[in-house]
Amino acid sequence: MSQTVHSSDSIGDFLGNSLGDSLGDYRRRWSWDRVNWGTHCLNCLATCNYRVYSKDGSVVFEEQSGNIEAIEAQVPDMNPLGCQKGSAWSQQLVSQDRVLHPLKRINERGESQWQKITWDQALSEIANSILDTLQEYGPESIVFEESVEGGLLSQSAFLRFASIIGAITLDAQGLVNDLPIGHHITFGKFSCASTVDDTFKSELLLLWHSNPAYTSIPYHHYITEARYRGAQVVTVAPDYSASAVNSDMYIPIRPGTDAAFALSICQVMIQNKLFDEQFVAEQTDLPLLVRLDNKRFLRQRDIKKGGSEEKFYSWYEDTKLTEVKNSSLELEGKKPILEGEFEVVLADGNSAKVTTVFSLLKEFLKEYEPQKASVVCNVAPSVIEELARLISSKRCKILEGFNAAKYYHGDLMERAMCLCLGLSGNWGKPGTGIQGLALAGLDGYMLFSMKRKSGVEETARLLDGIEAAMEQMKVKDPDATDEMLGNQMLSLSVASGTSAPPFFFNYHHVGYKEVWNKSEWSDASMTKSFSSYFDDAMRRGWWGGVAKPAASNPPKMLFLVGTNPIRRARGGRDRMVKSLWPSLEKVVTIDFRMSSTALMSDIVLPAAMQYERVNIQYPITHTLRLSFSDEATKPQGEAKTEWEIFSLLSKKVTELAKERNFMEYLDGKRQVKSLDKVYESFTLEGAFESEEAIIDEWVRDSADAGTLPIGSSIETLRDKGSIRFTGLGMFAPGLSVAADVKRDKVMTAFSWHVEKKLPFPTLTHRAQFYIDHPWFIEANEMLPIHKENPKLGGDYPFVLTSGHSRWTVHAVSMGNKSVLSTHRGQPIVVLNSDDATSLKVKDGQLVKVFNDYGSFKSKVKVASRVRPKQAIIYNGFEPHMFSDWKGSNEVEPGMVKWLHMVGKYGHLRYLPFGWQPVPADRAISVGIEAIDESI
Amino acid sequence: MFTFSLSGLEIKSNDNGPTEVEENETTSRSAVYMVFGKFFSPVNNEQYDAAINDHLDKEIKDAATLLPYSFDIGRPTVDSSLTLEKYMDEYSRLFSDSGGSKLLASSQTDDKENLVNQIKRDYEYFGLGANADARPLDHLATLCDFLQYLCFKEAATSSARLKSSFERAQRDFLEHYLTGWIPSLVDEVDKLTPTEPFSWALNSLKYFILADYEYIVQILGG
Repeated sequence: MSQTVHSSDSIGDFLGNSLGDSLGDYRRRWSWDRVNWGTHCLNCLATCNYRVYSKDGSVVFEEQSGNIEAIEAQVPDMNPLGCQKGSAWSQQLVSQDRVLHPLKRINERGESQWQKITWDQALSEIANSILDTLQEYGPESIVFEESVEGGLLSQSAFLRFASIIGAITLDAQGLVNDLPIGHHITFGKFSCASTVDDTFKSELLLLWHSNPAYTSIPYHHYITEARYRGAQVVTVAPDYSASAVNSDMYIPIRPGTDAAFALSICQVMIQNKLFDEQFVAEQTDLPLLVRLDNKRFLRQRDIKKGGSEEKFYSWYEDTKLTEVKNSSLELEGKKPILEGEFEVVLADGNSAKVTTVFSLLKEFLKEYEPQKASVVCNVAPSVIEELARLISSKRCKILEGFNAAKYYHGDLMERAMCLCLGLSGNWGKPGTGIQGLALAGLDGYMLFSMKRKSGVEETARLLDGIEAAMEQMKVKDPDATDEMLGNQMLSLSVASGTSAPPFFFNYHHVGYKEVWNKSEWSDASMTKSFSSYFDDAMRRGWWGGVAKPAASNPPKMLFLVGTNPIRRARGGRDRMVKSLWPSLEKVVTIDFRMSSTALMSDIVLPAAMQYERVNIQYPITHTLRLSFSDEATKPQGEAKTEWEIFSLLSKKVTELAKERNFMEYLDGKRQVKSLDKVYESFTLEGAFESEEAIIDEWVRDSADAGTLPIGSSIETLRDKGSIRFTGLGMFAPGLSVAADVKRDKVMTAFSWHVEKKLPFPTLTHRAQFYIDHPWFIEANEMLPIHKENPKLGGDYPFVLTSGHSRWTVHAVSMGNKSVLSTHRGQPIVVLNSDDATSLKVKDGQLVKVFNDYGSFKSKVKVASRVRPKQAIIYNGFEPHMFSDWKGSNEVEPGMVKWLHMVGKYGHLRYLPFGWQPVPADRAISVGIEAIDESI
Repeated sequence: MFTFSLSGLEIKSNDNGPTEVEENETTSRSAVYMVFGKFFSPVNNEQYDAAINDHLDKEIKDAATLLPYSFDIGRPTVDSSLTLEKYMDEYSRLFSDSGGSKLLASSQTDDKENLVNQIKRDYEYFGLGANADARPLDHLATLCDFLQYLCFKEAATSSARLKSSFERAQRDFLEHYLTGWIPSLVDEVDKLTPTEPFSWALNSLKYFILADYEYIVQILGG
């Protein structure tokens, strides 16, 4: 190892025998000759600003910068962003799991025998495999997993290459299962993502399905500061989490019963008239009329022949049956009647009885009176009532992570949680909402793939073109907001792009079809098999154009750039290796560390890490900042950036294609693709050879588009480390936050809906709690309802839950010695002390966790903080940290909820990073038994 | 009609829009940058002839006819017996030192490579590359070339968005590289008691750049 980063492990190494000299060494060890900005790819998306100190070309250490400007008077600033993982990042530059050279597998996959090869050998082998696959199977047999893991320069490299050759890229959201699907059903998006300083303005913070003391370390201070200001903090969780410790109220809920709990809160609000009637009438679909005969919304086409399918009605005291405007939420001084039953004359002359969604809800909620709900969720009725009164009387924000989304019925939980906020008037106002995730408006990045040449004139051409296209769409749909038009644009880009939800890949090629058809692990309301619903959805064309790769088109080549499906995929290593791997002729992993997936690959290419390259992280609205990471040291070994790797691969593909005289083929859309100038396409005729130039182009274009300060360039980032966005841009991901960005104000998501009365991008143009799709009616999920979690994996006494630990987000820090030494450094299942006693398991002992799907072995940590019959294993341990290399995902069947195959219903349609079926992995049924064995 | 003329830079794309436009306030600004660019280029006969024949200031005045503001052009008094050799010697005496040319923007900083890269990115983003045989990218004459080009493009575009982009680019470029550097360069060269036309040209350039910057800032709303 040529680098000397952290060459010693402890102060003790420096002290040694000769104290005086060693102290000198120790002091010199903390000296530097250069300082750069740095940030990390830890998957938390916090993009914290660090100062990176180096000496003689090697990184010595890093520290949080604390340089972020205060935004709003009386609101604490964000400083210092950071956590222990980021503060130990430099140690990973030289960690033992670092990949330093191109490696080729020898012997069988997974036998961990590797041969060091040259870059030219590696690229030739990969390029030949690409050409073989193109010739024999076509480009859609080459699959890339999408990821944000390595920062934007990493992502843009493989997405660009995949697009040029016509390969499929699997939507990252569908891979990581972070999609808050209940938010999407309710709001048509999951972007209620205020800047984190908005938390300070809350009067009531609900830490619900989240554990920010572990997972939001850089932002956690806002919870404490809000509490100092007088806010109450309530944690709703099955276990007494690290966040619960510092809360005013802890509500130990039975796992998977959050919908019952939330609906009971709603029942109390309605029963006691604690709800915000004006807000409900204006913002939600609760005043809309529903036909009692078919349970569907009353539509214009019911009333008028040839009427619209997407125009709805309310009932008013004076005007009676009245069509609801889609263009605005403004009530214009009139309020629709919330409760009642009415009769309307239909277009065919018959009459029909209708009622309001609110009336249906009120009646339905009788099943959730606190006494009844308490039996389900194990929360005392008095607590439910108290919380209902608190939520309805305070500015309330739910700090939700990505936990609920991972339950089979997580959508119902989230819809019910959103209903609590809707009834109490808690979104779009300072300190309110349900914290989701939204991408900030780095429009320059969005434009990148569209540019045919570099520079400002091309940027202007594209921006003018997009504006013109949106104007045209606006003529066709005058009610559409910019956000809706942005979604329409995104929809159009899907049709021409290579992105696909991984659902179809999983169904056809990873063996999930058989698992998903296990009715005993599925929703009891299903009247036919999963495959029957699947076939129905396909027949109806709900997923037209993105249902790929088709069953007849098995993947032959898999590229994993910083992704790690062997650790991540529900179903575990067994599912991937037994079902998918045999059909793959080449698996290529590009990573900086030897992940579990790299260990199962054919070729592993060493990637440069942050601090060894320039890069920017995926910006999100939590900080509303674009953070920069500079090159503080040269890449270790022979590592290269992904941009370099795919540039070289582009050249090699053309070179070898010419040798084969194979220059053209048809892509998945039957368009001719040429291999003549892959490199030229990749770099735009050389304009984007330099990564500095690419970042500079993104930043300048974003400034030109109005989302970064005018005049910004890579040098601005190099000077300041990060820049706050000035706008959310003209693309769907940014616009979905629906809020103004002001220089001196905290940003509150959804304020456009509340202040400007802009409608939501849902079918009804309102926050939609009633879904009248026939499948939802069949499932009795028109309104949010509580359904018991299916027995995922079989009928076993324990419920296995997860979440992110304090030590890593995914597996990225699992090779970091410092981080590993802050805990037990190996996988642990946390068990309640009473359960441990009855299982005759001692702290530190090995257990087998099993169900009908699979099993894994792990040591136990005994803790009274865990609810009885709950077991927790935190996310991120690599399978090879377990015995037999079988990780905790071996017991996760990865069931998919059938309703999420619905498409082409208003807002329930595929958009990249949005609506799509994703596997569940929370609340798995498991048995646990002690084993007399050591790892 | 006004046509731009680059010597230190070249256009990268074949499809780069019009090459001439009606004269107006903006082309006038472009023209003044063109004249200063030519003057501060490494010495050539054309430049010498203009100096010795006493029409340097006329060139500027002609170029500045439609300027939307006034600046102190002044008038050089060049000794008619000045030979080309002496002219070149004076150019070298004033603008060369042990570290290279004082007419390079990077002469002001220790991080020369970074500054040149920044300037290069500015050129590239606006569709220009270095002329292979040309002077250094950060040479004062090349910077003037770039401003000449930006003004021309502003005048030539029919897109409101692009016009605004070109205006902002002028402001930022002046602010980053010229409004701070040129006054200090003039002070530094003044200590060497420069002869005409160099003393005149430097001071005239200073007044122009400061006036032009003030103008463009005002156009962009302060």
